[in-house]
Amino acid sequence: MESATSSTTTKNPISLRLYKVLSTSFDDHGTREALQTLSELYGIAPANGETVGGDGVEGEAYPGEYAAKTRRNLRRDMENKLANGSQLFLTALAEVDEKLNDLQTHVKAMESACADAETQLASTNEASKVVLERAGNLRDERQDVEDKKSIISLFLARFTLSESEAEAITSRDVPVGPRFFEAIDKTERIRQDCRVLMAGEDGPTKAGIDIMASTSTHLEQGFDKILRWISNEFRQVGKDGQLDVMPGMSECILRLKKRPELLTEALTILSSTRQTSLLSSFITALTRGGPSGLPRPIELHAHDPMRYVGDMLAWVHQAIAAEREFLETLFMLKGDGRMVGSARDFESAKGEEEEWIQELMDLAVGKICVPLKNRVLQTVRSQESSIVSYKIANLLQFYLDMMRRTIGPDALLTKTLSEITDTSFTTFQTSIEAHSQGISQVPLDPDDPLLTPPHLILDHAQILREIMNVYQSSVLDDEDGPTTSAASSFDKILDVVIDPVALGCIAQSEEKMRLRPKWDAKVYALNCLTYFQGLLEPYPFTRAKQDQLSKVIEGRVAELIEEHFLDLMKDSGLLEVYIVSKSPPPNEPLSRHPATEPPALLAALHTFSLFLNSPTIVHSPRLANLTHLSLASTIHRAALGRVAKAYGVVCSEVMKEGNRYEAAATLLGSERPFGRVYLVRQIFGMEEGEESESEEESGEESGEEESGEEESGEEEEESEEEDGKSEGDEDDAADDDDDDEEEESEDDGRASDVPVSRPHPVAAGSSKRLV
Amino acid sequence: MPFNDYDADATELVETYDFLMKYIVIGEAGAGKSCLLHHFTHNSFKDHSQHTIGVEFSSRTVKLGEKRIKLQLWDTAGQERFRSVTRSYYRGAAGAILVYDITNRSSFLNISRWLADARALASPHLVVVLVGNKSDREEDREVEWSEASRWAAENDVHFLEASSLSGENVEAPFLLAARAILLAIESGSLDPEKPGSGVSYGDRALRRVNSSSRLSFGSLSAGRRRGNVKLRSWDPRSKCC
Repeated sequence: MESATSSTTTKNPISLRLYKVLSTSFDDHGTREALQTLSELYGIAPANGETVGGDGVEGEAYPGEYAAKTRRNLRRDMENKLANGSQLFLTALAEVDEKLNDLQTHVKAMESACADAETQLASTNEASKVVLERAGNLRDERQDVEDKKSIISLFLARFTLSESEAEAITSRDVPVGPRFFEAIDKTERIRQDCRVLMAGEDGPTKAGIDIMASTSTHLEQGFDKILRWISNEFRQVGKDGQLDVMPGMSECILRLKKRPELLTEALTILSSTRQTSLLSSFITALTRGGPSGLPRPIELHAHDPMRYVGDMLAWVHQAIAAEREFLETLFMLKGDGRMVGSARDFESAKGEEEEWIQELMDLAVGKICVPLKNRVLQTVRSQESSIVSYKIANLLQFYLDMMRRTIGPDALLTKTLSEITDTSFTTFQTSIEAHSQGISQVPLDPDDPLLTPPHLILDHAQILREIMNVYQSSVLDDEDGPTTSAASSFDKILDVVIDPVALGCIAQSEEKMRLRPKWDAKVYALNCLTYFQGLLEPYPFTRAKQDQLSKVIEGRVAELIEEHFLDLMKDSGLLEVYIVSKSPPPNEPLSRHPATEPPALLAALHTFSLFLNSPTIVHSPRLANLTHLSLASTIHRAALGRVAKAYGVVCSEVMKEGNRYEAAATLLGSERPFGRVYLVRQIFGMEEGEESESEEESGEESGEEESGEEESGEEEEESEEEDGKSEGDEDDAADDDDDDEEEESEDDGRASDVPVSRPHPVAAGSSKRLV
Repeated sequence: MPFNDYDADATELVETYDFLMKYIVIGEAGAGKSCLLHHFTHNSFKDHSQHTIGVEFSSRTVKLGEKRIKLQLWDTAGQERFRSVTRSYYRGAAGAILVYDITNRSSFLNISRWLADARALASPHLVVVLVGNKSDREEDREVEWSEASRWAAENDVHFLEASSLSGENVEAPFLLAARAILLAIESGSLDPEKPGSGVSYGDRALRRVNSSSRLSFGSLSAGRRRGNVKLRSWDPRSKCC
């Protein structure tokens, strides 16, 4: 419809209006609400007539009457209502206004109160500011004080001793132990620190001085306490036979080192305790032995000097070892891993402790020295047997060496031992010397025909042998052989033991020979000497003495060779001839000399020939008495050698033109060995050249040889005649004797190259020089 | 290895001790006494050892169970010429270590004489341990283990073989002797309070305790049983070192 009318009605305002009205919808919310409000105002009139009916409208006379009436009155109703409402507002607001006025009053009051309060606050504030400030200051102060307090308490803790520490140091109730040492340590640390502090630029402070003073007191007390304690302990040490270091002792010693005077005091006490107790335990060991007599007292064995002395020394040695260990522990010295017996180095620098230890050892052991010395010397002096006294002396020497090595050469014990050792060696030497001298004085039994050393000497030699055995197995004898000093001391012993006896033998033998001229003193003396040499031979350390003896023996042997040579020459009848030929008279040919006239010479040669056949050549009865067989044969052979040579001299003289022998060669060749020296040697069983060892005149010999060879043609015939001519021997022998005397008288004026048969004074003298 | 448990105990060297015992080491020259002792005190073999001159001394502290024992060891010269000197050191020894050389029969033949000497001169309770030294030289053996063992049983001494070269059993004889001595103390047959017994207490405090009660060796009895078992079971041929 709209579309139809639009063209027609568009311009019609009424239609527009109509349209507008018609199209207006009252269905919207505002309308409905307004209607609602209206309906409430009127619709429910019966119920609330007074609201609407108040306007005089009472019941509808017709339907809608009410609505119409209402429509008319609407405006008035509304205005009434508004007026009523406003009235109500006014009343209410008046009330409100009243209230507000009240409120304002209140507010005003409050405001003034507030202002008051504010003023008050301000003034209070003003006032409290000072207080606050003070409080702040106080707080700061308190902080400071707190700080100071903690510093001071730290300082005090560090620089003063606590109650308990002070007690530990001073009180006698607190034992010397860890607590005590800790306190002492602390005291010392305080002093150390304090010293550092006081060394500052400002110099010592009062507090510092005070601290030093108080700690010093404490320290002194502490040291006093240590001293008291350790002195007491030291008095007890070893009282019950045990030698141990109590816990704390070493610590005390270590601390006391800072106070040398206190340490000295304490150690003096220790030393005297040790001296006494070592002495008493030594005496106990000597006289009482162990518990119930086991081990037995040392003096029980006093009858066995070696054991007695050995036991005593061993006891001392063991006591020293224990003492040393005790002291090492006490001074907290670490053992150097050395065996006690082995050598200690005394030269190297030693610590203070080592010095103390040595001094204490020395003192402790020193007390024992007196009883030890007395007993040992008593034992030494009472020995009758030189062997035992030698053994004791050696034992002492052994311990002396050991002590020298272990406790040092300057220790009292070492010195005492050295003294005892010397005394015992001297005692031994005196006794053995007296013995030797005694033996040397004893005259030989004149009726004893024997030429061997007598029993007295054999016994003496036996003693010497035992002494040498002791020496050889001697404790002095190290692996490297005896020390030079020991060896030389033994040489002295040998001198004392052998020399007087050897000299005595010689002297006594000569004495005896004066009484019994037939007794062979030379052989006897040589027997004695070789006996001694044989005795010494197995002992290498007697080399020097052996050499000495050898020299004497050599001298005696040379004498004996000479004598024997002369004897042999006498026996062979050549002596006079030889003597003359050896030193021919200057102005007279030998053939004119009575001893060498051809007949005499012939007789001598005959005798010699017989002599060559005699058993004497193989065996000399005189030398058979020599106990030393090889020596006998040496002498014999040497003498024979000289006989051969003498024959050679005679031959060469005879062959000389100047001696005017007629048919000299025949003369010599008439008897065996026909003027040939080599034959003589052959007969004597000598090797060529053997002789030359002992001969000086080799030049002459060669000449003799030649002369011998020239006559070799005749020798065989004449050798067979030897036996027949033996009868002439006796006469010749008689002649020999006479000639001998002649010769001797001649000899006196000349050089001593012609031997004499009497004992030679020089020989005896030379052996005397040996002493 | 029997006795190995000793080693751990004994190697520690300590200062304080509960007992002090004196031992002597004896036997023929060249048996290795000084070497054995040297190995025991220094834990090393002593090469090029010289003959001992007279007597030498050393000491060592060992631990046996809970007890520390200080041993004073007197090493004697075996050579005949030192006999007169060394005999003086037997006095008051608590233990003797009698050493022979298993490779030298003559050193074994003389042990009776040594034992007699020791018994005569030392403390009456002397504990003797026979040690066959040089057990490392089995190829040169001249003394059989069984023979020495029999001798030891007949003469009432302890026995074992050791080698101071290898160190085998070196500590055992000393500990064995110490144990035997402690047992003697425990049983009351030996009183360390008396001088000359060769044993003494180390610490005075301990001494007081012990004199009031002898029960303080409780641990030791156990050790002894252990030890005995080992001794029996120990066969010298089972060498393991």
